[in-house]
Amino acid sequence: MITYVLRRVLVAIPMLLGAMSIVFFAMRVLPGDPCVAMMGDQATTEALADCTRNLGLNRPLALQYADYLWRSVRLDFGNSFRQGYPVNEYIGRMFPHTLVLVLASAVVAALVGVPIGIVSALKRRNPLVDYPLRIFALLGLSMPVFWLGILLLIVFSLRLDLFPLIGGGDLDGVLAMIRSGEAFTQPRDFLAAVGDVLHHLVLPALALGFTLAATVSRLSRSAMLEVISQDYIRTARAKGQRERAIVYKHALRNMMVPLLTIIGLFVAIALTGTVLTETVFTRPGLGKMLVDSINARDYPLAQGAITVFTMIIIMVNLVVDMLYAVVDPRITYR
Amino acid sequence: MAIARDAAAPELTAVGAAEAPPDRSLRRALRRYGPIGIGLVMALAMVIMAAAAPWLAPLSPSAQFADAVLKGPGAQDRHVLGTDEFGRDVFSRIIWGARVSLQVGLASVVFGFALGVPLGILAGVQGRRTETVIMRSADMFMAFPTLLLALIIVTALGGTLLNEILAIGVALTPNFIRLSRSLALTIREQDYILAARALGGGQIRVMAHHVFPNALYALVVVGTLYIATAIRTEAGLSFLGLGIPPPTPSWGNILSEGRQYIKCCPWITTFSGLAIMLAVLAFNLVGDCLRDLLDPRLKGE
Repeated sequence: MITYVLRRVLVAIPMLLGAMSIVFFAMRVLPGDPCVAMMGDQATTEALADCTRNLGLNRPLALQYADYLWRSVRLDFGNSFRQGYPVNEYIGRMFPHTLVLVLASAVVAALVGVPIGIVSALKRRNPLVDYPLRIFALLGLSMPVFWLGILLLIVFSLRLDLFPLIGGGDLDGVLAMIRSGEAFTQPRDFLAAVGDVLHHLVLPALALGFTLAATVSRLSRSAMLEVISQDYIRTARAKGQRERAIVYKHALRNMMVPLLTIIGLFVAIALTGTVLTETVFTRPGLGKMLVDSINARDYPLAQGAITVFTMIIIMVNLVVDMLYAVVDPRITYR
Repeated sequence: MAIARDAAAPELTAVGAAEAPPDRSLRRALRRYGPIGIGLVMALAMVIMAAAAPWLAPLSPSAQFADAVLKGPGAQDRHVLGTDEFGRDVFSRIIWGARVSLQVGLASVVFGFALGVPLGILAGVQGRRTETVIMRSADMFMAFPTLLLALIIVTALGGTLLNEILAIGVALTPNFIRLSRSLALTIREQDYILAARALGGGQIRVMAHHVFPNALYALVVVGTLYIATAIRTEAGLSFLGLGIPPPTPSWGNILSEGRQYIKCCPWITTFSGLAIMLAVLAFNLVGDCLRDLLDPRLKGE
């Protein structure tokens, strides 16, 4: 097991390195100069040259590349061109927003998707159940998250005025209260702040969660179908166990293994979804930060954001592989 | 849909499906081919809409009507789906926008297919070092989700039609490499490949004439599903302002521009988004049904 972990980590390193190189070189061929983007077209040649020198953009590309890799190894992504302060700090501030969104939409997706998948697998011969569920899955798969987001905003924010139109609530404040212990001394303020954050979270989580639910329902449907055709299910039926017990005791538990596979996939889809979701709902977060930094030609910020995205995906896949062994003792690693 | 491998289930005791009475067989045919029929009709309608945009659109997509700025559906008896902030006809813009979506959707899948399939088959058939190099590079790109990779490439190259095709095509390529490699791995063990080699078929001949045709149908099914992915990705890029720049209409940029006016004029975003969803739905439906019809083993994957 330990050698397996080590080997997987070793394989992940060149992958990450490659991904980071792709990002670095893609950023450098970007049309548009970060200095021009920052100072405007009216800036004097001297000012631009000064800016280029300060940002280190006049150095040879190979040197910049080596510098970028070396810093990244130490998780130092440099300073944002635009804001000046360290990219790490920025990412650290944005990460909780994205994490909360991904978790909340995962909950929505699991609550909606898994039961739908199971029911549609078990009742697949009943067209009255199977068809609507399959149509739901197909709609969810086809619905762009940004469109669903806008529809939700039109109905629930503008028409019914139930939820805020933009922003993500004062998550920083909530975290600060937890850190300072204020959360326990002034629980009323704390709960109000948490409530505000959740209030901002409802629509984005519903939008992203619903589009993810479609994927989850399909995967859990096929996971259930896979399990239900196994010999041990037949054995359970043969010995006269009730269908309910078969589903709960045998099928559901074994379904978890194939379902785990999708978590890696799920995180990748959810993270991509945050780029669009955060933009639609004008929420702070890694995804919105990525889009904004690309538009501002803020290389370090964009590189940092993409590197963090890639790291998360690679790491999650690694962890999922390990989890297999925990869930299914039959799997051993070489 | 009931298929033979579910024989373990108690309901499926009668095996008389083949000699079913005629009225049931019609219903069966409808159940079997109905969804794919709907999908094909929708997909075809989208393609026709894109191809015949100049004749189908009632008004010019760029004409600005000063008397109808941000007017709702039915305004002035000529704007079926209303107008945008420049007084342009939303319906005509959506019809023209189909061009961008479908061109990018189809061309990027062809691109990914043409680049990925030969590489994947090469990796699967050759094995050894070739396989390692190809698969590791594919893994590297797989670390990025499709939209993210397309986003990086399209920002690097700039938002034009060709660059969007290239970006989404490259982003889809690793998927085609993986799939065609795994198909090639099973196909190369078949007896007919041995026979082809015994007859003196060279490596390239075996790959092109024996491995590729046998992998084709699975690749086409997945390719259809990737058209849906490509259309959605294109819309996403345009929505983020990284796709085809305005004033050329694309569904994504109509929606993105309309975002500022959702308070007064929700029709702009509603209908452009609906167009995106219907197009994606059409290709998803066709791909799904094709998969179920052609290969029950792949079902639900």
